Amino acid sequence: MAPVVSVEALRKRYRRRDPWAVDGVTFALEPGQAFGLLGPNGSGKTSCVKMIAGLLRPDGGVISLFGAKPGDPAARAQLGFAPEEPDFPKFLRAREVLDYFASLLGLDEDERKRRIPETLAFAGLDQERRQVRQFSKGMKQRLGIAQAILGRPKLLILDEPTADLDPMGRRDVRALIESLKASGVAVLLNSHLLSEVELVCDTVAILAKGHVLKEGTMAEVVPEGRTLEDVFVELVQASAPPKHDNLPSFITDKEDQ
Amino acid sequence: MKGTLAVARFTLIDLSRRRILLVFAILGAVGIAGIGTILKIFSSTFAGAAFTGSPGSAPPDPAKINRFLDLMFVSDLVGALGLFALLIAFGIGMTAIYHDLESGAAVAIFSKPVSRFAFTAGKVAAAAVAMIVIVGLLSIEAMLVGLLFGGGLEQTLVAEAVAQVANALTLMLIVLALSTWMNNIVAAILAFIYNAAAGVVVALHNQSAAGNLGDNAILNGGLNVLYWLVPHQLTSDAPRELVKAEVELFSTPGQPGPDVSQAVASVPGPSDLTDILWWAFVVILFASLVYVAVRRRQV
Repeated sequence: MAPVVSVEALRKRYRRRDPWAVDGVTFALEPGQAFGLLGPNGSGKTSCVKMIAGLLRPDGGVISLFGAKPGDPAARAQLGFAPEEPDFPKFLRAREVLDYFASLLGLDEDERKRRIPETLAFAGLDQERRQVRQFSKGMKQRLGIAQAILGRPKLLILDEPTADLDPMGRRDVRALIESLKASGVAVLLNSHLLSEVELVCDTVAILAKGHVLKEGTMAEVVPEGRTLEDVFVELVQASAPPKHDNLPSFITDKEDQ
Repeated sequence: MKGTLAVARFTLIDLSRRRILLVFAILGAVGIAGIGTILKIFSSTFAGAAFTGSPGSAPPDPAKINRFLDLMFVSDLVGALGLFALLIAFGIGMTAIYHDLESGAAVAIFSKPVSRFAFTAGKVAAAAVAMIVIVGLLSIEAMLVGLLFGGGLEQTLVAEAVAQVANALTLMLIVLALSTWMNNIVAAILAFIYNAAAGVVVALHNQSAAGNLGDNAILNGGLNVLYWLVPHQLTSDAPRELVKAEVELFSTPGQPGPDVSQAVASVPGPSDLTDILWWAFVVILFASLVYVAVRRRQV
């Protein structure tokens, strides 16, 4: 089966003097597969997915999105991307935002009339009449996921999709991922919420400082009797210089009586 | 094309709800009505009495006085219109693209199958339409104010209003182009400085062309080079008409007075085809700069 997306020896740095944000990352994702990209803050997860979505230019390596370059509009028409901290034109309402994106996706009037109310209902924003500028972080995140699925993508990239969601919202996202997987949609989940990844992903790659430390199916990465968190912490700590785990002294000091 | 229209449509909806534009539009509407009314009342009550002519000479022709006052009135109205057109140009230029790029809205937009060219074209088109609509409404209001007080100079006002819109459009594109590279407040300040410097260069060039700066070849040559590096403000024949009427008003028939053609030579005349072509070139240039900046932008 041809991969939906494949990246090979991907490299990116933001300034010439900076260390590589992404350095030699390689992976591929097939239809119906849920791939978890894990890593601590600043490990290069978001840079990777932004390069796949054509939002950042790689400094090296090759990306193939549906057999084309990420900048190709036909390839991006099959992609749904929910960014980490989603934002939208702030004076529009949720329905207008989806109408805007439906227009960009080239959906006709009938499809818009069908998809927009259903997508709003899924996101729990169907009764919402306020403008985006008055939305909470969680509401923006819901709208971010809603716009990502609006075009019925064949690849859904979710960058920290549940970071600002309440437990019900998280459950909805898990159900969405399961349902999409079952219908053959590939899901690239970018998260450091390991319990969540463990529940929904078939394959994972653990990143630190732009490098892939370990990649494979969940069974390959997590040996029996251990958790994903154990493996993650062990790998990340081994790749980083020793760090003192001591709390700040002003926290641990006992107050003078 | 569909992408451009979608971007333009929703940018217009977004812009129409921005309070800063609403405030500028209301200030403009109130300002033009207020300035027009005050000036007209003032000029018809007091100014007519001031034109009694020099001692011992015949009083000036009342028709000339009226013509002069009407021109002055139109000049003040278009001055007010120009000021609010500039404010609106800054308001739109600072927000139309900048907020999408800085807020992260561009991340979701650019992940959709829309080219950066279509996005830029839609944004520039929406910004231009928003400005033309707001300044157009203010111009209609200015014309109504003019009609209310006698009228007869609508043609002059229309030509000057078109020139003001064209000039504001250039400024808006400069702010748009700069705000895709830098903070929008810094962009507005730089655009203001550049626009003011361009105005000085054009004014000096006009003086040089009229022979008022002497025959220093280096100075005149330098001004000529600078003149073709900055946008030229488009003008109607209103400023020259005003000066001409003023000179004619104060000249006494049969006595030597100031030469009309010499007096108006230093005042910018109506823009000719070269100026209009240069304006079109500058508009295309700055719109292209906006596109280059958006295309290069990583979000």
